[in-house]
This record gives sequence, C-alpha cells and structure tokens, in this order.
Amino acid sequence: MANIMDSFLSATFLFIVIRVGVPLLYASMSAYVASIAGIPNIAVEGIMIFGALFGVYFSAITGSAWLGLLGVILIGVVMALVMAFFTMKMNASPIMIGIALNLFATDFSVWLLMLWTGTKGTTATLPSKVLPTVNIPVIKDIPILGEIISGHYFLTYVCIALAVFIYILVYKTPFGLRMKACGLDEHAAESVGIKVNKVRLIAIIMSAVLAALGGAYLSMGYMSIFSSNMTASRGWTGIAANAVGGGNFLIVVLTTVVFSFAQGVVNRLALTALPSELVNIIPYVCVMLAMIFLSIKEMKKNKAN
Amino acid sequence: MEDIILKLENITKIYPNGTVANKDINIELKKGEIHSIVGENGAGKSTLMKIIFAIEKQTTGKIYYKGEEINFANSMDAIANGIGMVHQHFMLIPSFTVAENIVLGAEPKKGAFIDKKEAVRVTQELAKKYNFDIDVTQKVSELNVSAKQKVEILKTLYRDAEVIILDEPTAVLTPQETEQLFEQLLQFKQMGHTIVFISHKLNEVKQISDRISVIRLGESKGTHEAKDVTIEKLTELIIGRKLETSYDEYRKPVEHPEMILDVRNLSFKDSAGVPKVKNASFSIKGGEILGIAGVQGNGQEELIKAITGLLPFQEGTVKVCGQEIQKMTIMQKRNAGMSYIPEDRMIDGCAAGASIQDNMISTTYTKNTLSGKLFLKGKTIRKTSQDLIERFAVKTNSEKEKVGALSGGNIQKVVVAREWSTDPKLMIAEQPTRGIDVGSANYIHKELIEMRNQGKGILLVSADLNEVMALSDRLIVMDDGKIVAYFDSLKGVTESQLGLYMLGVEHHSEEEIRRACYE
Repeated sequence: MANIMDSFLSATFLFIVIRVGVPLLYASMSAYVASIAGIPNIAVEGIMIFGALFGVYFSAITGSAWLGLLGVILIGVVMALVMAFFTMKMNASPIMIGIALNLFATDFSVWLLMLWTGTKGTTATLPSKVLPTVNIPVIKDIPILGEIISGHYFLTYVCIALAVFIYILVYKTPFGLRMKACGLDEHAAESVGIKVNKVRLIAIIMSAVLAALGGAYLSMGYMSIFSSNMTASRGWTGIAANAVGGGNFLIVVLTTVVFSFAQGVVNRLALTALPSELVNIIPYVCVMLAMIFLSIKEMKKNKAN
Repeated sequence: MEDIILKLENITKIYPNGTVANKDINIELKKGEIHSIVGENGAGKSTLMKIIFAIEKQTTGKIYYKGEEINFANSMDAIANGIGMVHQHFMLIPSFTVAENIVLGAEPKKGAFIDKKEAVRVTQELAKKYNFDIDVTQKVSELNVSAKQKVEILKTLYRDAEVIILDEPTAVLTPQETEQLFEQLLQFKQMGHTIVFISHKLNEVKQISDRISVIRLGESKGTHEAKDVTIEKLTELIIGRKLETSYDEYRKPVEHPEMILDVRNLSFKDSAGVPKVKNASFSIKGGEILGIAGVQGNGQEELIKAITGLLPFQEGTVKVCGQEIQKMTIMQKRNAGMSYIPEDRMIDGCAAGASIQDNMISTTYTKNTLSGKLFLKGKTIRKTSQDLIERFAVKTNSEKEKVGALSGGNIQKVVVAREWSTDPKLMIAEQPTRGIDVGSANYIHKELIEMRNQGKGILLVSADLNEVMALSDRLIVMDDGKIVAYFDSLKGVTESQLGLYMLGVEHHSEEEIRRACYE
C-alpha cells in the first residue's frame, strides 16, 4: 500500500494526470465556450466521438497525420454548423439538438466503422497515423519538471495554448465581453447592436472544434486507433466541470484538474489488486461531489437573495 | 421655422395579421424640447417608438431626421445617427460593471484588447459631465432601480444620442427619484438634447413637458403646449370621454356588515432581524375599503405579505371572517374568503406564458363546477373564461391567447377577474392600477367599488395617493413599519395633510390609532 502512496507523489503520476486530463480539458473548454455565449452544447461527447473517428479515417486515407488533423477540425466545423442551423435558424432547443447529435454520433460511428473496417470494434486494420510527441528542448533536461511537462503529445500543448487563448479572448477582448453579454441577456446584447447570432455561431464553431480535437487526442495520440465508445463519458465530465465553474473559466479549469487527478488515480490503482469496477467509479464520484457542491452553492445564493 | 429635429409624417403601421397599430400619425419634435407622448396601453405609442428606433418598419409614411428623409436599416443605424432609447425593461447585464454595460458593443480598445482603464475613465467622465452620482466600477446587480436607469441613460449618452426616448421611465421610480430624474432631464434639455417622454402619469407629463402629443387608438389627437392644456383635457383626449375623478356617487351603503378582516398586534421581522411591521392592528367590515397610505418601503409590502401568507409573521393574530389563518395553507386561506391582487402582476399575479383561460381558472379549477373527478370540464371552463373576459372588458381575440402578449392594463384585468371570480369576502388589492393606463385604472376602480357595494371587505395599498384617497372609506397611514395615523373618513382630508403623516412629521395618538380596530 505504501508503494502505491509513493507512486502518487512521483513525477510519473503527474505526467499521467496531464495525459488523462487533456481530453477532459478539451471537453470542459468546449462546454464553456458555448455556454457563456448562451447556447449550451451538450453534444460534446458526440462531437468527440466524431473527432476521434474522422481523425483516424482521414489520416489513414491521406497517409498524413496532419491532414487527418485538418479533417478533425473540418468535422468539428460541420457539426457546429448543424447545431447552429437547428438552434438559431430553426429555433430548436439546443438541449434537444445536443441529445440528437450524441445519439447520432454514437451509432453512426459504429456504422462507419463497419463500412470502413468490416468490424464493430476498432480501426486497428486502418493504416492510421498518430500525431507526434514533443520533447521540449532545454526543459526536457530539467529533472522532475522535464519529466512531468515534456514528452507529451502534440495536442497536449495545443490544448494548453488554447486554454490561454480562451482566457485572453473571454476576459481581455471586446469579443469576449460580447460573448458573455449574449449568454447573460441576448436582448440587452441586441439592444446595443451586437449581432447575437454571429457571436453565437463563432462560439459554437470554437466549441465543436475543441471537442473534435479532444476526440482526436484520444485516437491519434493517447491511442493509435479508434474504438467504439472510446470517449467513455469524457465529454459529459467536461460539461460537469463547466457547470461547476458557473461561467468562471479559471474554476472550470481547476475543476477539470481535480477530475484529472481522479482519473489519474484510477489509472494507477488499475495496476493493483483492487476490483477495477470499484476503482473506475472514482472520477464519477468526484463529478457527483462537484455537482452536490454546486447545488449547495446555488442554494445558499438563492437564500441570500 | 423652428428647428425640427425629427418629423413623423403620416406614419401608418399595419401588422401582417391586420392589426392597425398606427394610422396617419404626424408628430414633430423640436430640437431641445421635452416632448411627451401619452395614450392608453395599446394605443400605439410603443409601436411608434419602435418605428423611430427602427425595430419595426412603417407600412407607409415618412420620417425626416435633421431635415432629411431617413430609412434606418436597424436600431444600430438609429443609434449611430444619434437616437437613443431607454427601454422600460432594462437592457442591462447584472453581472457586468456599470462601465462594461455602458461601453458594451462600442468598447475602447488597446490593440486587440479591451482597454478597461479607458472604459472606466470615459464612463466616469461622462457620469460627471451629466451630474450622475454613480460608481462605474460597481456591478449593475448591486444597484437599485433608479441607478440602473441612470446606467441606461448613460448608455445612450455614451453613444452620443441627441434624441433620447424614455419609455415609461417613472413607472419604477419613487417620487423622490422621479424628481431627481426630472432635474436631469431638464439639464439634458439645456445641453441641447431632445427628450421623448412616454408616461401614463399625466401630472408628471404636464410638469416636465414642453409639448404633449396624444395618441388614441393608433391615431394622433394633436400636439399641445403643456402649459396650455389641463390634465382633465388630456384625460379626455386619451380615453375619448370625460373621466370621473370621484367615485362617491357609486358608493352604496351596506346593511349589517359583518367583520371580514381582523388584524391584531401583527409584527414581522425580516431574515436579518430588522423589524418591518411593528405591532399593527386594524379591522375591516364588509362594505368598506380600508386604504393604507405611506411612502413605499415603510412596511406596507411586508404587512400584505404577512396577511396573505407569502411571508410568515412572528407575532399577532389575523382573522378572516372569524377564522384564525396563520397556520392555513394558501388554498385554505382562499377558501376562508381571501383573495389577492398582487403588486407585481408579472411575477406573482399571472403565468405570462399560459393562456388567459388557464390563468383565469387557476384559483378555481378544483371547484366541482369546473372539474369532474378525473377531467377538467373543458366547455364550462371556456364559457367561464369567456364570460370573465366580457365582464371585465379584456381586450383580446381569444381566451387561448397568452397572458404575456396582452398589454399591462389587460393583464391586470385578467388578474382582477380571476380574483373576483372566487367570490371572496376579503379582497386584498396591492397597487391594483400601477403602471396601467387611466382607462383601465378607472375600470378597475369601479370594480373595486362594486365589490365593496356587494358587502365585501377591501384592503387597498397604493403608492398613488390620489388612488387611496379616491377609493378608501377609512384610511391608515404607515411610516417605518408602524401605523401612525387613522382616519375614519376622508372628508376634508387633504393630500398635503396626509403627506405630513407619511413623512413622519406628525402622528396620531395611540387612542386615535386604536380606533382602526372594531371591537
């Protein structure tokens, strides 16, 4: 047991936390960007599945991981346009569209899998490519720190860069202020001449591309194949993290970090004799605790008013 | 020729469903004047403002702005050309700061980023220039209504508005805040801004305006110099007939009245432990209207909420027709004979998204006349609501229409109709005519008198002193949570006399106040 405790303090453990945390952060950011602009995106899970599948497919048919990545971004934009069309043009509820896209992605991905590989399980037979891992010069030679932050996948660094980008966009630019305005009161935003639909369209595209990248991370790095249901509720975890954050990006990120640690713990304990079913529930328990925390916070706020 | 900044020429607006909202309206706004536009709810004022502000397009007619015919593509265009509008429902984002709200959509920039310092500096300077005492770094959610309105006005000024349209700005303000607003409006006028002022309150309109345009049923009834026109004349133009100012001729004596409401030593403290109602005692018999006068926020609201059960009171007893009601559920209270017209019709008074019919039966649907053992009786319900619509002259095409789509006066009629339909012994009317037009207000007043004549007891709270004085048989005055005066008749009592009690300058003796209770 002491052995396990020790391993939680090691650099390898923190490396793993980052490794398992990145797709969660993509999902959280995806949920965040859409929700602050006033269109809740609950299709994060479904878009991740498509991102993962199409990344593999495009890289296999083009023979290039980078073209595969381009395909991932494209599929994200397409999903965004579908959502935007139904929610903003046809005035459908974003929740209904989200449910529809999730169900569609889950089953349609299996169908495509059958079409392309003849099996329902994985794309192992496709000659897909993975995105490279990056060793950061200088930093990789620093003891401990180098071990933790160097040598991750390309999309890990993209994720961190996008997190910084989103923070600056939301809190420092006019567009960010307008995004929040659209989410908080669209009529108020409209009354000062903000083009609400345009702002929301951009937000949805950002959201869907983030989710698709999160999916690609899973199938083009974390693993080198797509397998059905490989997203394993990461999209939903991201949505939960966003809910806990309540519009505050730093809290969203912080919550995601907590969830990542929980997932890291699972990966570690999987190597022990503990029953895996029990271990696997740890992140979900964390999500539930976070939701309870959130509702208590809400209740207190309501009482104060 | 005087300097005309905005001219509306033969404006007609016909909605696709055939409703004629405006018909051949001609109005000229002079530069630097305060121009009021008055008319009943649904008379077409709002539509006209929307046309000026390019939210709606006129069907026919022309608009000239600074001498040129204009055709704004959208509100943005109108704003860019110097027309600003302060909407009745504030268009503010509560979690943003004042400065952020003001610059939103036209933010000062430093490179690609918002220059937050500059935003604060510019807005602070603007506030100073126009004598607004406001901290621009505060969040809007921390501001009171009057300060929020100032932020809205600053928003238009930030965008260099020359013409500022204010849609019922005083509906949400206390008398003191209204005075303050008027001082500011006069200042804007001196600085060359043109103000379009929309209001129901004719005494305010007369006080602040240079000129007044009247609209009735979508048609203009002329523009008048404010100093040359009386309030009576304006009222007549607005509703198209003479209006009674006294209801005395409608009052009928009631034989053998029974005791309806008996409140003894009622005290209420809020959650912070601050006493809001202090030892209030009074009673009401059938066939009378007891009015409660007072400056808003002196415990009237809490008193009503304690009696209706929206807030639990801590001490005292409340009896309706002899029954102690403190522990009763709302349904039991209603069955005991209580009904209630709440102050805020949109929050407590109705379900805006539901139909008129559903709203009208929401207090009575459990009665076996409307409901069988399993199913509601659709036909009877429809008939009942149609009868109520007719009886209370609600302007609508169908009982299936959503309440939220009606004008304020008509929504209030729906609420009054519903409360009346329970055949109550006690009617608690809280601000029953707030923010609605004179015609509808007059109608509701007569209904209240009618209920009184039928032997019901009515408790009336209103911030409108004229209303309390015109309707009440007896009157109590509240100040700082206490009953400070009692009048068993309003004969010879003047407004300024009541004002002294309301402001706490004078008060009656304990013995006199005790007479508010029947033994």
